[in-house]
Amino acid sequence: MKGSTKRKSVSYAKWGYIFILPFFAAFLIFQMIPLASTIYYSFFEYYRSGLNIIGPNFVGLENYKALLGSDFTKYMGNTLILWIIGFLPQIFFSLLLAAWFTDLRLKIRGKQFFKVVIYMPNLIMASAFSMLFFALFSDNGPVNAFLISAGLIDKPFRFLSTVVGARGLVGLMNFLMWFGNTTILLMAAIMGINPALFEAAELDGCNHTQIFFKITLPNIRPILVYVLITSMIGGLQMFDVPQILTNGKGTPNRTVTTIIMFLNNHLYSKNYGMAGSISVILFIICAVLCIGVYFSLNGDDSKPKKKKKKAARAAKA
Amino acid sequence: MRQKNENAHPIFTLFVHLVLIFLAFLCLFFFYILLINSTRNHFDIQKGFSFLPGTSFVSNFKKVMADANIPVLSGIKNSLIVSSASAILATYFSALTAYGLYAYDFKLKKPAFVFIMLILAMPTQVSALGFVRLVDRMHMMNTLWPLFLPSIAAPAVFYFMYSYIQSSLPMELVEAARMDGCGEFMTFNRIVLPIMKPAMAVQAIFSFVGAWNNYFIPALVISDNNKKTLPILIAALRSADFLKFDMGKVYMLITIAIIPIIIVYLLLSRYIVDGVTLGGVKE
Amino acid sequence: MAGIRFEHVEKTYDNGVTVIPDLNLEIKDKEFVVLVGPSGCGKSTTLRMIAGLESISDGELYIGDRVVNDVAPKNRDIAMVFQSYALYPHMTVYKNMAFALELRKTPKDVIDKKVREAAKILELEPYLDRKPKALSGGQRQRVALGRAMVRDPQVFLLDEPLSNLDAKLRTEMRSQISSLHQRLQTTFVYVTHDQTEAMTMGDRICVMKDGIIQQFDTPQELYNNPANMFVAGFIGSPQMNFMSAKVEKAGSGYLLIADTAKVPVSDEKFASYVGKEVVLGVRPEDLHIEENALAKAGDAVLNAHIDLDEMMGSEIYLYFNIQGSKMIARIPSKYQVRLGDDVKLAIDTDKIHVFDKDTEEIIYQ
Repeated sequence: MKGSTKRKSVSYAKWGYIFILPFFAAFLIFQMIPLASTIYYSFFEYYRSGLNIIGPNFVGLENYKALLGSDFTKYMGNTLILWIIGFLPQIFFSLLLAAWFTDLRLKIRGKQFFKVVIYMPNLIMASAFSMLFFALFSDNGPVNAFLISAGLIDKPFRFLSTVVGARGLVGLMNFLMWFGNTTILLMAAIMGINPALFEAAELDGCNHTQIFFKITLPNIRPILVYVLITSMIGGLQMFDVPQILTNGKGTPNRTVTTIIMFLNNHLYSKNYGMAGSISVILFIICAVLCIGVYFSLNGDDSKPKKKKKKAARAAKA
Repeated sequence: MRQKNENAHPIFTLFVHLVLIFLAFLCLFFFYILLINSTRNHFDIQKGFSFLPGTSFVSNFKKVMADANIPVLSGIKNSLIVSSASAILATYFSALTAYGLYAYDFKLKKPAFVFIMLILAMPTQVSALGFVRLVDRMHMMNTLWPLFLPSIAAPAVFYFMYSYIQSSLPMELVEAARMDGCGEFMTFNRIVLPIMKPAMAVQAIFSFVGAWNNYFIPALVISDNNKKTLPILIAALRSADFLKFDMGKVYMLITIAIIPIIIVYLLLSRYIVDGVTLGGVKE
Repeated sequence: MAGIRFEHVEKTYDNGVTVIPDLNLEIKDKEFVVLVGPSGCGKSTTLRMIAGLESISDGELYIGDRVVNDVAPKNRDIAMVFQSYALYPHMTVYKNMAFALELRKTPKDVIDKKVREAAKILELEPYLDRKPKALSGGQRQRVALGRAMVRDPQVFLLDEPLSNLDAKLRTEMRSQISSLHQRLQTTFVYVTHDQTEAMTMGDRICVMKDGIIQQFDTPQELYNNPANMFVAGFIGSPQMNFMSAKVEKAGSGYLLIADTAKVPVSDEKFASYVGKEVVLGVRPEDLHIEENALAKAGDAVLNAHIDLDEMMGSEIYLYFNIQGSKMIARIPSKYQVRLGDDVKLAIDTDKIHVFDKDTEEIIYQ
């Protein structure tokens, strides 16, 4: 009778676990365990001195204290400055280009060509790109040669030996590598806005500038937040460009040494305690930013997601 | 997009084109000099700047190939192995994970999804210390394995796949396959994967390029000359005594590292540019 | 070939929602059974349990003599036609139909023969090399049928297969599916929310609501003798009119008084209802405007003030209100009745249905 014979039934739940297992296993092994040991070592005195290994000795928060007493804050500042130098023109030009590319009143010739070209630097090997910049902007490199032959300057401008020059070059490269990507993201966001909104605004008497600031910008806010936060995380990771450009030295006077370069130095010299504490601080900052990414993609509340699901279901039917 | 008949002012249109041309120039100029200089020999390059190509392309290429200190051929080979393996692992397992979370109902479904979304943008650098020690303990230092195995867990690729699968795989197709006699893995391999092909292709390209360009982790793991990937070789070039270097060789090596990617990109640019947003962030 | 039997089947989802509390249903071999009901009534869930796409929480499901609760869909020997057709977009029409047979390691020549045979019956021969994207809705629908056909399954399941087609095509496919059933001589279970489809195609129809079977019978029986108000209202278009009526004792019989109409009934079931209210159900075609009907009906006549008239060709639908209930009458179009008119409509007292007001179950018909 009812309930007396409980039968096994067809259930697929186990397949869900099987299918996501490799991902989570790989994540556990290559990310979680390393992260745990990174955090662990951040509380230990553990470094190499000459041929001797000192430690590991538990020192509590000593590494963190030492870190704050070191050039850590200076490098954080460098990273921030380098990021801003690249990000400001990046977001400015991306917004401008995205608005232009999506404006049908504008007849842009070769739109596809421009899109392809501005995205290209994003795929370039950063280390090769910065090696190229190093070669091009070196004291007797082609750029100086060009400027001199054009009569703009009479002796080589030492890009890599001045703070402005070195930081400017890093910023320029970051800008070139990322503005195309951002433009395309923003374009997609603008094209995703209901066209009726623009028409309604126009009927209400908005001019094109007002439409941009009052309709377009507020409607692409989630993507802007996403771009901002992912760019910040990208900025924190900044390494290849300044490392290769300055041969890891952060010249002049360590003004382009980023936080990851600092970490890299400690990893190279096998100072695991210090490297650990830098990593942990970075991890905490990134964790906060990641939560920001999560909400920018999933909406501030559950409403947009539900809508998305509904739309997906409607599309399926 | 605005449907409008009126056109923008011609002067404004001209201005827009000038800005675009300027930006395109910035993007292309450096690569143009790179290409030009890779065809000129060291002395020509030292003499000054030129817009016209030289005649030393082949000899530069031969010189790079012959240099025992920069094993370019093995560098290309290693980079190809690491990048291809990364691309295959990242796309296959991300699709598998996305399908697992999309098609099945199980207790940990929601937490698993939220977890991946939370670590979506977490940089690998924060656990680099532990990673290098782990690789050491697994006796995988100076091997290529640790450079591509972690690609099995690629949250960003997963997110792209998940968005794509949501919009293009009705559950009824999966059910039809079950009724037709497919097991779960066969459903995935014979029905789901072919449908995911466009997303797989786009993400394979991105993963390949990402691995091809990766420098930070490989530099920590690899020290043997014949295991080095291209970015490490370029970094090695930078740390060598630069003034003594043959600049023709330098530009040639950079060309070798960059140009294949550019060629592939130009051939597939339409898919790549559209792919940036295809399944990803839509609002 | 096989029948299907549900014995005390329960379906509760993981979130604790029970969609089917206790289902008992027996579908005979070679029968064409239609599961019908409003959305959310559990008809699709029932079908999907037969398919094995939905697990069974409790009870037993038999296909033939075998309990199939824990049998995977592929081993149940059933085929299914989905609402969205679920054709594999990366395979040609031929491949779509051959896929299941290939998985079963059927010899190539047998597959080819079966696919071509099905294609011939379904008039798909010119399209065998096309991908589903290049087909029209009706053609896709036929491919979905063909895919199920080639497998010679014990049971054929169809989940709202016509809902994505336009009205004309739907009528065409209805007869095509019916003749397919004739030809294949196998058990068909068909899910729809459209009572017209159910009435025209099913040998028997299972009307469901809230996971409970309301009535399971032939189309004729459902129409003439609905078991309750739900079935009465669901089957038939336009739907049955309901009005509340008071039961009074009158001589040896009883009178149902609804508004101005007095309907005599002589069934002793009404003894316990004297002085109480019941629901009187009359189908729109059982309201008559003809003189002789009015004469015959005596006091069983409604005074209708027409709110709306719809000309349907041979008939006119008249809409009016009785004590706040919306009513429809179907009268021959030769009677020129217009909006605003007041007319008398006779109730065919032989064809009335009376329901209990609380249980909504049938009392008398």
